[in-house]
Amino acid sequence: MERKINKVLVANRGVPAVRIMHTCRDRKIKTTAVYSTPDRLAQHVAMANIAVHIGDAPPGDSYLNIEKMINAALETKSDAVHPGWGFLAENDTFARKVIDAGLTWIGPPPGVIRSMGDKIEAKKIAVRANLPVIPGISNVAGAAEIKEWMEREKIDFPIMIKASASGGGKGMLKVEGEGQVPSALARVRSEGMKSFGDDKVLVEKYVERGRHIEVQVVADQYGHVLHLFERECTIQRRNQKIIEEAPSPTLDDDLRQEICFAAVRLMREIGYVSAGTVEFLFDSTSRKYYFLEVNTRLQVEHGITELVTGLDIVGIMLDVAMGKPLPFKQSDIHPNRWALEVRLNAEDPRTFNPSFGNITRLYSPQGPAVRISPGYYEGADIPPYYDSLIMLIMATGADREDAVRVMDRAISRNLRVEGVKTLAPLLLSIIRHPQFIAGEFSTRFIEERMDELVSKFIEKDSEDEMLKVARYVAEVSALGIPKWM
Amino acid sequence: MNSYIFVKPGMTAREIVERVRSLEGVCLTSTSMRDAGQSDYKNRLRLYDLQTLAPHYNAMGLFSAECHGGARWHVGIMNRRESPFEEIGVLRELMPQVLLQTLIRETNLWGYRPYPPNIIEYVVSKVDIDVWRCFSFLNDIRNMRKVAEVIMKRGKLFSPALCFTQADWATNTYYLGVVKEIVALCGGTEEIVLCIKDMAGVGSPQRIGGLVDAIKQRHPELVIQYHRHTTDGLAMPALLAAARAGAKILDVQEDSLARFYGQPPLLGVQAYLEEAGVAVHLNRQEAEAASQKIRQWIGHYQWAESPFRGFDYQVVRHRMPGGAFPSSFEQAEKGGFLYLMPEILTLMSLYNRIIHYFDVTPGSQITWVTCSGIVNRYMKERGVAGVRHILRLLTRFVEEAGQEMEALSQDEREELLTLFRTASGDFKNLLLGKYGKLPLGWPADWVYQSAFGEEWEKKIGERSERSPLDSLKDEDLNKQKNDLAAALDREPGEDELILYLMHPKDALDYLAFREVYGEAALVLPSDVWREGLQKPGSAVEFSFWGKPCSIGLVSVGDEHEGFIHVVMKVNNSTRVFAVGTPRAKKTEIRMAAGPKDVGAPINGNLWRIGNPERGSLKAGDIVHKGEEIANIEAMKMENAILAPFDGQIAEVCIRLNEVVREGQLLFVLEKAEEQGEH
Repeated sequence: MERKINKVLVANRGVPAVRIMHTCRDRKIKTTAVYSTPDRLAQHVAMANIAVHIGDAPPGDSYLNIEKMINAALETKSDAVHPGWGFLAENDTFARKVIDAGLTWIGPPPGVIRSMGDKIEAKKIAVRANLPVIPGISNVAGAAEIKEWMEREKIDFPIMIKASASGGGKGMLKVEGEGQVPSALARVRSEGMKSFGDDKVLVEKYVERGRHIEVQVVADQYGHVLHLFERECTIQRRNQKIIEEAPSPTLDDDLRQEICFAAVRLMREIGYVSAGTVEFLFDSTSRKYYFLEVNTRLQVEHGITELVTGLDIVGIMLDVAMGKPLPFKQSDIHPNRWALEVRLNAEDPRTFNPSFGNITRLYSPQGPAVRISPGYYEGADIPPYYDSLIMLIMATGADREDAVRVMDRAISRNLRVEGVKTLAPLLLSIIRHPQFIAGEFSTRFIEERMDELVSKFIEKDSEDEMLKVARYVAEVSALGIPKWM
Repeated sequence: MNSYIFVKPGMTAREIVERVRSLEGVCLTSTSMRDAGQSDYKNRLRLYDLQTLAPHYNAMGLFSAECHGGARWHVGIMNRRESPFEEIGVLRELMPQVLLQTLIRETNLWGYRPYPPNIIEYVVSKVDIDVWRCFSFLNDIRNMRKVAEVIMKRGKLFSPALCFTQADWATNTYYLGVVKEIVALCGGTEEIVLCIKDMAGVGSPQRIGGLVDAIKQRHPELVIQYHRHTTDGLAMPALLAAARAGAKILDVQEDSLARFYGQPPLLGVQAYLEEAGVAVHLNRQEAEAASQKIRQWIGHYQWAESPFRGFDYQVVRHRMPGGAFPSSFEQAEKGGFLYLMPEILTLMSLYNRIIHYFDVTPGSQITWVTCSGIVNRYMKERGVAGVRHILRLLTRFVEEAGQEMEALSQDEREELLTLFRTASGDFKNLLLGKYGKLPLGWPADWVYQSAFGEEWEKKIGERSERSPLDSLKDEDLNKQKNDLAAALDREPGEDELILYLMHPKDALDYLAFREVYGEAALVLPSDVWREGLQKPGSAVEFSFWGKPCSIGLVSVGDEHEGFIHVVMKVNNSTRVFAVGTPRAKKTEIRMAAGPKDVGAPINGNLWRIGNPERGSLKAGDIVHKGEEIANIEAMKMENAILAPFDGQIAEVCIRLNEVVREGQLLFVLEKAEEQGEH
């Protein structure tokens, strides 16, 4: 059954909200922005056709508040809701209430979100679909149970403790020893409760030096499930991806086909609709892969798949939500280039401490083969309450080497952010590292080489140095001859 | 047009000495890049301007350009914010044919304390200088041993200086003794240039001629360079006398830079000597061009010149060196005792007949501080009559009584025996031999009684004849490097370490300035450097890292809450700079510092004080090591703050839901009192 979408409420902020609004604008679909008090002048607000204030800074009062979201949609006569990623994106209650309010939900069915959002449930289904999974236990009650499991299964530290509803690097902790178990358990529970409203916990064996590979899947309401090939997201810090690429430099074609079809098999099994991702952990020594989880939403790194396939995934989500069948078959999908993405977070590149404040100057990278997915404009404030992503930078090339070259230029020659610290020096240092260039890395790449990476940070930049001179002139012009002179 | 170049960097010391010897007549060292600026402009002449002379020097046929030395270095980092290393780099590039010359104070190098051999070796080998002039204010040649060794081993030209003054005790015999020590130290005369350093400008033409002649008689092969200030007004004839007696190199400065306390004017010296039949090796055309060049920028330095200008023949008595003379008047004016200057100068001329050394750093400072101190003390305690009285007494003691205590009355003796009681530590160290041995032996016992009181005999017992060089133990360079790295929070460069070794506090201050203002000191013209841009719409343009740069002033706002907003155009982009005025309200954030302080590990929102089990915490509550006492949320990640030890909360320094900065003080804890056994 086809239904029209005239106006989409984007239940998000920053980079994802702006991304979704771009496609809506392409489609001449109107957009409604929502904003919390500190976001009143944010870029997504300026970009939308209309904006609704939904509450104060804490996410619970605003971006996680289901009632306010739905009221905002109804008040503004929006007829669909796109949740973006993060916040309510994988909240099945929200999806259900959106649908119950007579609005179109741009995403998978609530039942699918619920079953996949529960890590414990998802693992069961994966086993049923014949996908390999990581050894672990679910519904953990306390430290004693973990100890017992480890003894029974002969598992050694480190282990991973995950909130059953974790995601985006939050609500999961790597634990190195028995002493840390109780506090880690408490913290994961608390973060799970705070971010996702669920304090169930599961524990898994930690796969050392694993690589993170995921398959982008799209499906329509008519049972067509296709994959758009894989992405590799191995470069992470604190379990959060910061560099992604497509295709994966690790997989050969046979393994690629195997993983991609395993993903399709699972998604078909659960009756998936819209865009989603099946994540795998790949052990490159044993060449084995394990099912990790299904992300029942648009992902941060979807853009590189768009670049290699030429498709617009947000556009596909809109079409699917309107009840249209997928207009292509699996055999029509031919990735024909390499794409790389870096997440430009406002963080200290040495400590990863968040660096919020005002972006006093922002020059976005430009030039051939670069795509920017922005979330902030020059002069905008980065509030301390939400995540630290300011911009996604993507680069493409005929092959990996080409794409890395373009990315190097984009970060080192075109990009300029003043007022807040960004990960740019670290990102550049990573993509210039011989092992990154050789494609040999694991999820621990950064933690194992942090000092080396930091030592390669470029110290001086001519623009920075020129501004120092200008600051001097400004001070002397305002204050007169310096006393020390 | 290379015909005038006869010595060049890269030549061995022996080769350079040979070239000078075989030159007809004399050649010149220009001191414009160091001593000229030091003597008349308080070392404020900036590299930005001085470097305009370099292309001319590169073709002038100079023996060397003196461009480097202790005070230029120190004032450079403090008041010009220039690094001596960058300076050498720039000059090397612009005048690759010119020997660069420095001036060092033997074991003190360019700093204010004696350095042990390992530091001397490290530092000297890292500074790219061709000619190393080295002096000791005591003419204690033993102190030069280590520097001479390192410099000569590296094939650089060592130029030991003979500090010169004109006094009854400073005879040719005395100087020949010092020269003998120098020649012995340097293994002959083949690889050195001997400098006669007349730093006050007191050598009469006959005296200088006689001295040069005596040295040449004894060491015919020795190349002699005469360095002289113009304070007494007799520099030109003295230079001629030195040249006629066989000096081969004379120190001069550009005419348009010459004032009263530096070196004599270069073009005038050449004309005067040539008329007298002494050939002067110089590309006159380039020298004239250099002199013209100075007029383009010297106007920017009027503020740095002393208001007390003019020759002073009395220098032959008080012997204050070059730039110290006008600056002592300025100091006296600032201190409100300008009217006492004639008395102070008189005391200095008596003092230097009681204690014999040479008035050059650090001796000149010791003399000034001691003499101005005594006069000021008498003025304060006994008024003008008291000052007159002590000068009369000392004059009679020195001039009539032949410095015999017995010739004085009991009261007068007692008075002299307290004369130096309040003198500075430097003065007392000098008496104890901490700088080396005095050129004519130790002062009379009464000076020790006067300085040290009852302890005087013990102090004489402690007096050392050894060179400080022999008693200094090697220092741990790595420790110094680590200290600097800790202060900078990064690995220091080699140049930075040397700056730090010479002037620890001022180097840190300089490096902090550089961190904030970058290369401002190197690229800004002197008017903008000093006064900024004066009018909205005005701009300064220069080349920066090989690309054009334009900085323009749009407007300077009014002060608001301690800040002035300055709008600038930097390469056509509008930039607003918030400039804090001295009245800027400091929004004081208390940072964790002591061992009892608990600080925030990251920036974030402090959303919980205490923990879920026991709820909130307040001052007075007991906490246990490892217990969560607060939680900071940043970008949706929780960060538990744990108690570092068992203790009691003395103070809660934040409020709930406050946004905190990394390092901000959250709690002050008191250690739990030791519990006794029960």
